[in-house]
Amino acid sequence: MGLRQFMAILRKDLIRELRTREMLISMILFVLLAMVIFHYAFTVKEGAELTYFTGGMLWVTFIFAMLLGLNRSFAQEKDERCLDGLLLCPVDRVIIFLAKTAGNLIFLLIIQVVAVPVFTLFFVERSYVGDLLPFLVVLLLADVGICALGTLLATISMNTRSRDLLLPIIFLPLIVPVLIAATGATTLIFAEGAGFGGLLARVLFLLGFDAVFIVAAYGTYDFAIGE
Amino acid sequence: MKQLVSAPALFVGAGICLIAGLLLAFLYAPVDASSMGFSQKIFFYHVPIAETALVAFGIAFVAAIGYLRTQNPKWDRLGLVCVRLGLLFSLLVMVTGMIWGKAAWGVWWAWEPRLTTFLLVCFLYIAYLVLRSAVEEEQRRATYAAVFAIIAFIDVPITFFATRFLPEGLHPVVITAGGTGMESSMLISFLVSMLGMTLLLVALIRRDLAVEELQDRVADLKHTIGG
Amino acid sequence: MPLEIEVEGLRKTFGRREVLKGLSFSLERGGFLSIFGPNGAGKTTTLRVLATLLSAGAGTVRVAGHDVRDDPMPVRRTIGFISHNPMLYLDLTAQENLRFYADMYGVDAREARITELLERLELSHRRHDVVRTYSKGMRQRLAIARAILHRPRVLLLDEPHSGLDPRAVDILDGLLTEIRDEHTFVMVTHNIAKGLEWGTRLMIVENGRIAYEHAAGVDPESFGAVYREHVQEGAVL
Repeated sequence: MGLRQFMAILRKDLIRELRTREMLISMILFVLLAMVIFHYAFTVKEGAELTYFTGGMLWVTFIFAMLLGLNRSFAQEKDERCLDGLLLCPVDRVIIFLAKTAGNLIFLLIIQVVAVPVFTLFFVERSYVGDLLPFLVVLLLADVGICALGTLLATISMNTRSRDLLLPIIFLPLIVPVLIAATGATTLIFAEGAGFGGLLARVLFLLGFDAVFIVAAYGTYDFAIGE
Repeated sequence: MKQLVSAPALFVGAGICLIAGLLLAFLYAPVDASSMGFSQKIFFYHVPIAETALVAFGIAFVAAIGYLRTQNPKWDRLGLVCVRLGLLFSLLVMVTGMIWGKAAWGVWWAWEPRLTTFLLVCFLYIAYLVLRSAVEEEQRRATYAAVFAIIAFIDVPITFFATRFLPEGLHPVVITAGGTGMESSMLISFLVSMLGMTLLLVALIRRDLAVEELQDRVADLKHTIGG
Repeated sequence: MPLEIEVEGLRKTFGRREVLKGLSFSLERGGFLSIFGPNGAGKTTTLRVLATLLSAGAGTVRVAGHDVRDDPMPVRRTIGFISHNPMLYLDLTAQENLRFYADMYGVDAREARITELLERLELSHRRHDVVRTYSKGMRQRLAIARAILHRPRVLLLDEPHSGLDPRAVDILDGLLTEIRDEHTFVMVTHNIAKGLEWGTRLMIVENGRIAYEHAAGVDPESFGAVYREHVQEGAVL
């Protein structure tokens, strides 16, 4: 039953987004524009090397894009009063959390499929095909952390007066550890290349972060979404 | 326990301990053998303030859980008071930390683990206050604040861990405090300060809680009279 | 007849404003409770507490034998809620909306049930159109389908006739007649005629309290007088 409900919510969100493409198009455009802006922002000195900035640029872009997306995905539920319809259903609130997080994760991955190649083209000199697997692992783990924490916090912020403005303020301080780990690992891969050994600490850290915050969200989501 | 020791006694006790700690630190404990020399003295305040701040946030964490389980506003008041005090102490940590940094290493700011963790902690709990101000309805405000206080407190050690063990640049610069072992005279001075700081926290919590409760009752009365 | 709805000392505060000040009433299975009252009286709040959308501040509320606070899941399975918000996803088709809710409620033989309801509500020809293209009356009809999809025993209606075109009103009334037996209803309405027509119990809520409560069968004239006394706004007859 839980699985059927999880799939129902996920399917609904995916159908809606793929049909309107509001969020996806905005987020993809934002991400691509951000990259261009980064170039102009950082290449003041002739021949400046951006290699060791690459991880940072990439993850900052994704985090800010996610802020846009999270606001959007919950605004829809709120505006059409559909949240009531959802809460009327005999569904465990945690399943709503998991389904929403999964949906946001899928959207983020779609954007990254477009963004990463373009970013590589713009900023990455070294071919990291050999490190592709570690790169993807880091990407996925960081994404999960961002989406889980983001979904929990967006659920809260959507019910407040300042809605869109509040989410960055409560989200960014909490996501810094993920940023640290992900940028470190990504920069390492882009700049020097590293097998799993060099990345192990960061990968384990991200894994731990994800586990801790999913458990925390599990315990608190009831309160975040109810009334 | 709190009923046993009255508020004025707590303040007096705290004052005595803090002054005693100060005297001990300057007159009794030897000057630090390492390069920091006299400036190391600030350690006797800096660390207790830091630990007391964390204790305050820890109490807020417990209060948050208490509120979510009982819906009793007294937990919410305790949480708010502790976060505000913790924030105050955190700002002091940063100030004393910066003074120490200037005295010991000649720089006002360094991106080293403890300073940056406390900087993030400040942002985190300022976000808590911003969140509270964005929700008008009392029960909802208390609920969201509680959820955030729980998430935030979990994030604090994670953030510290990330800044300390995941090297930022790929070549970390780690600034260590004095030696881990402390001579007994130093230890005593330190512990006295620590006790004083903790007593101060408890005294301030009691006073602030009383003020908050009074304010709530006044608001209730106003409301009753008004309509 | 067993009691399907039992409310005892229901209180609810929003911030400092006490919206419900100790409501107590009950409804036996198969009954139809019509709730009237001025705006802001607490009628919708009461309904939302019954629907588990709001938590009760104090007091006990039992629906279909389950406490809404301790045991909300079984309650949600047995109730259907129709309000003036259709609670439909505008960018999904009628079929997709109903499929979603069918999955959420665990409805068996999903497709057959959906087809049956769409036919009953005369929406089959538009089943593959997104709800954004529907008129208000059509959206309300689809909302009714959504509400009874899982065959709930208890129906909570919040001003269901408001904003409906005559055809939709007929369809709604026809549907209510069809499922009248073996179902329990609580309806909040400003429409006195409908309230009197359907109700087996009548209730006027004013200022968070029950101002008037009576079994059906009252003389419409005298009820009108009581109504005007308690409900300041214009009545719809």
